[in-house]
Amino acid sequence: MVRWQRGLWWFLLPSFGLLTVVLLWPLGYALYLSFFDYYLGSSDRTFIGLGNYVELFTEARLWQSFWTTIIIAFGSVGLQFVVGFALALGIYKLKFSARLFTMLLFLPHIVTPVVAALFIKWILVSNFGLLDATLLGLDITPPDWLGDPIWAKISVILADAWIFTPLIMMVLYAALQTLDQSLIGAAQIDGANAWQILRHIIIPALIPAIIFTVSVRLMDAFRFFDTIYVLTGGGPGTATETITMYTYQLGFRMLDIGKASALGVITLVVVAIILLTINKVLTRIYRRGD
Amino acid sequence: MSMIVTTEKALSKRGQGARKTAPGSSALLNRGQVLLFAALCIFTLFNLIPLLWAVLTSLKHPADAFTIPPTLVFEPTLEYHKEVWLDHNFVQYLSNSLIVSAGTVIISVPIGSLAAYALSRIPRQRSGPILSALFTIRMFPHILLAIPFFVMGSFLNLIDSYVLLILALIAINQPFTIWLMHGFFSDIPRDLDEAAALDGCNSWQSFRTVILPLARPGMTVAALFSLLLSYNEFLFALVLTGVDTKTLPVAIASFGGEDISSLSLAAAGAIGIMLPIVIIMLLLQRHLVRGLTMGAVKG
Amino acid sequence: MASVEIMNAVKAYGDQQVLHSINIHVEDGEFVVLVGPSGCGKSTLLRMIAGLEDITDGEILIDGKVVNTKHPKDRDIAMVFQSYALYPHMTVEENMAFSLKMQKRDKEEQKQKVAESARILDLTKLLDRYPRQLSGGQRQRVAMGRAIVRDPKVFLFDEPLSNLDAKLRVQMRTEIRSLHQKLKTTVVYVTHDQVEAMTMADKIVVMHDGYIEQIGSPLNLYDQPANLFVAGFMGSPSMNLIKGRMDRSDPHQFVTQNGKVIRLPCPVDIDPGRELVIGIRPEHFEVSDEGTEFEVEVIEPTGSEIQVILNLGGEKATAAFRDRLPLEPGDKVRLGMSENGLHFFDSQSGNRLSPDLYMKEVSPEH
Repeated sequence: MVRWQRGLWWFLLPSFGLLTVVLLWPLGYALYLSFFDYYLGSSDRTFIGLGNYVELFTEARLWQSFWTTIIIAFGSVGLQFVVGFALALGIYKLKFSARLFTMLLFLPHIVTPVVAALFIKWILVSNFGLLDATLLGLDITPPDWLGDPIWAKISVILADAWIFTPLIMMVLYAALQTLDQSLIGAAQIDGANAWQILRHIIIPALIPAIIFTVSVRLMDAFRFFDTIYVLTGGGPGTATETITMYTYQLGFRMLDIGKASALGVITLVVVAIILLTINKVLTRIYRRGD
Repeated sequence: MSMIVTTEKALSKRGQGARKTAPGSSALLNRGQVLLFAALCIFTLFNLIPLLWAVLTSLKHPADAFTIPPTLVFEPTLEYHKEVWLDHNFVQYLSNSLIVSAGTVIISVPIGSLAAYALSRIPRQRSGPILSALFTIRMFPHILLAIPFFVMGSFLNLIDSYVLLILALIAINQPFTIWLMHGFFSDIPRDLDEAAALDGCNSWQSFRTVILPLARPGMTVAALFSLLLSYNEFLFALVLTGVDTKTLPVAIASFGGEDISSLSLAAAGAIGIMLPIVIIMLLLQRHLVRGLTMGAVKG
Repeated sequence: MASVEIMNAVKAYGDQQVLHSINIHVEDGEFVVLVGPSGCGKSTLLRMIAGLEDITDGEILIDGKVVNTKHPKDRDIAMVFQSYALYPHMTVEENMAFSLKMQKRDKEEQKQKVAESARILDLTKLLDRYPRQLSGGQRQRVAMGRAIVRDPKVFLFDEPLSNLDAKLRVQMRTEIRSLHQKLKTTVVYVTHDQVEAMTMADKIVVMHDGYIEQIGSPLNLYDQPANLFVAGFMGSPSMNLIKGRMDRSDPHQFVTQNGKVIRLPCPVDIDPGRELVIGIRPEHFEVSDEGTEFEVEVIEPTGSEIQVILNLGGEKATAAFRDRLPLEPGDKVRLGMSENGLHFFDSQSGNRLSPDLYMKEVSPEH
């Protein structure tokens, strides 16, 4: 650091000091607690080493919640990405009222997630939800959208997609606007059709934005909580119980702090591994040219 | 030489093609635009159904809310909007939400900006690892932080206090704020810092008098996102607040999630929670989009 | 007003050394220009004087005091940046008054000093404007105004004219020069443009790859370049440099690499066969029946003179003539050169060979 700017290190102090106290220390404390058999409110705390981890890995509920998380995360991020990209392209191609559409399509993302989940719930809820009421009016017996194990998963995916598709759309739309128009012009002169332009020019140029959004969305999806809590509470049974939901049950319903901490640590490791893998794969695709 | 020839060929080809197909292609273009417009309209409308439905429900008497098939014709009433705010403590929850959001923004944005400015001026080989670490920290599962906060909060008897929730929100918000502000500060030329240093400023004076005024749009974006995050946050609010400090999302989740019979009331509450944030966001849309896309477009 | 002394200054980034033991003495009130191609280290050196870069080794003294560890704000120097670095959120007046404000001078004094500087630089009407409302030339002036307001010990200029168009650049060159004559403040000025260096400097420091190639007055550098780099860098069009050696039998003859013979205006006594480079400035060629025969390749009239690109067995050379000679591409022309326009360099070291080596009378029988 150049001598005259050394004073800048002090500027980091308030933020990093506070982060140490409110972020790093608690995270370390959680790691520490994960090695104990400890229920909140009880006075004894026994060190059991990796006991909580062993217990978690040997029970079916963890694995089930893990697969539920994977299905919901990849399902909803996949759906968001396809729809979001299509919308971004659509608005990008549209020569008028693009601003109006971005604004209206973005609305669901601004709404408080809990409120957004309630909006969806009032569509899907049995008998009196908009969907059921309409179908019943047409004499069709609808499935139980939130009570059937498979439909409940689909409903959760749709709800998450409703909230987050606008985000992906917006980021990709912004990235499209930075696209060099002369490239597309040149490709058209060379006789490329719309699909070839998309495949060879637009998508490669968007790769950084795609890596960014998909990574950020996936890590969000793994801590996915609000929507499920409101829509299904993890049910029916444990059909929509994600890892985060399960951790919540362990820690705040059963007050099994040790085991909940261990599960949190496991989640952290899993998220890190998945994100690193995805980043690597996408970056390799990117480096290869297109 | 050959390159020139091909380009010439291509140009003349395009010229001919354009002449020949000009009327047809422009008609096709227009038809394509109309189809695209129609498709987007339909999708947008469809996409807004849940929101519109909630608005309608909030204006309905129970008799109209529970019809099969659903009705669009009814006598609207604002009674439930009034009731949920006045008779069900939502004014109290709103004030809780505002206190928590304000506390978070007022602490998180200034200290985050300070750190971000320093990071943007520190040589890249030093700041790079710190920034990646901050980016990585963003991905930790919030529930992992909620547990120790809950445990320590219980020990310190801080559950159901504003302070604990504000600290938790700063913890999850700070890495993002720093990261966002770092982008803005990096866009301010270093020449200005140097000119200020030669004009007699120490680091703090340069920041205060020269850099900060120029970073104001960035601070607006950062404040906006911190506000959005703390107003909307659910998990920490759910586990760290109680009767006295319950925020709006927690209140509406327990209110609207359980009892279907008070549907109109819940819908009125939900719309009420949504409105202020939607209005703010629409007013500041330019900043919002800028913040959202910054990370992505810069790569 | 003060002198600046740079003693054995070294700058290294990690293992990479970008400045090697630099020694420069800037007299009180002197206008010194650091010139060299981009990447030669001139800007880094200027920033070291300013205190914006640390000094790895050696010492820098301003007004006789070592300033190595002093903060830029404590060095009492002003700098004009290439980008001007005006504060965008302040008016011209606020920009100019900023340093005085930081020194906590009283309001009246600030106002009066700014007004005075504004008058000198013809900025009085612009004081209420913001930088974005100014043209490039006006911004440049404000940047200078900001520097002169505080009456510093030393002015530093970092390529201040390179963002201006050609006409304005020539005009500002004159203005900076006359400003210096008025204020008599010590100036260290960095540029990559040798014309700027020639026209403005009391003393030029030519830098290349982190070393000083030569220090001297403009004419001194032009007439007696110390080595091939300076010879090639100073002057436009640049000096013709032709590789070859002296003929073994005739001290009047220089043989190029391609075996062509160039006839010299006087006999020269240098070991025949020694690898040499001779240098001739374009304007030192003259049409002469006794000269060497060149082929004309291209003619470039500039109006005031014509420049002729010549070919001698594959070796290219440029000549410049004040007279409008009736030449056509493809013509053969015989050209001689004046004695004092001839330079000799060692081809190994690139260093100038001093005149007494070759201006010796040669005995007739030789």
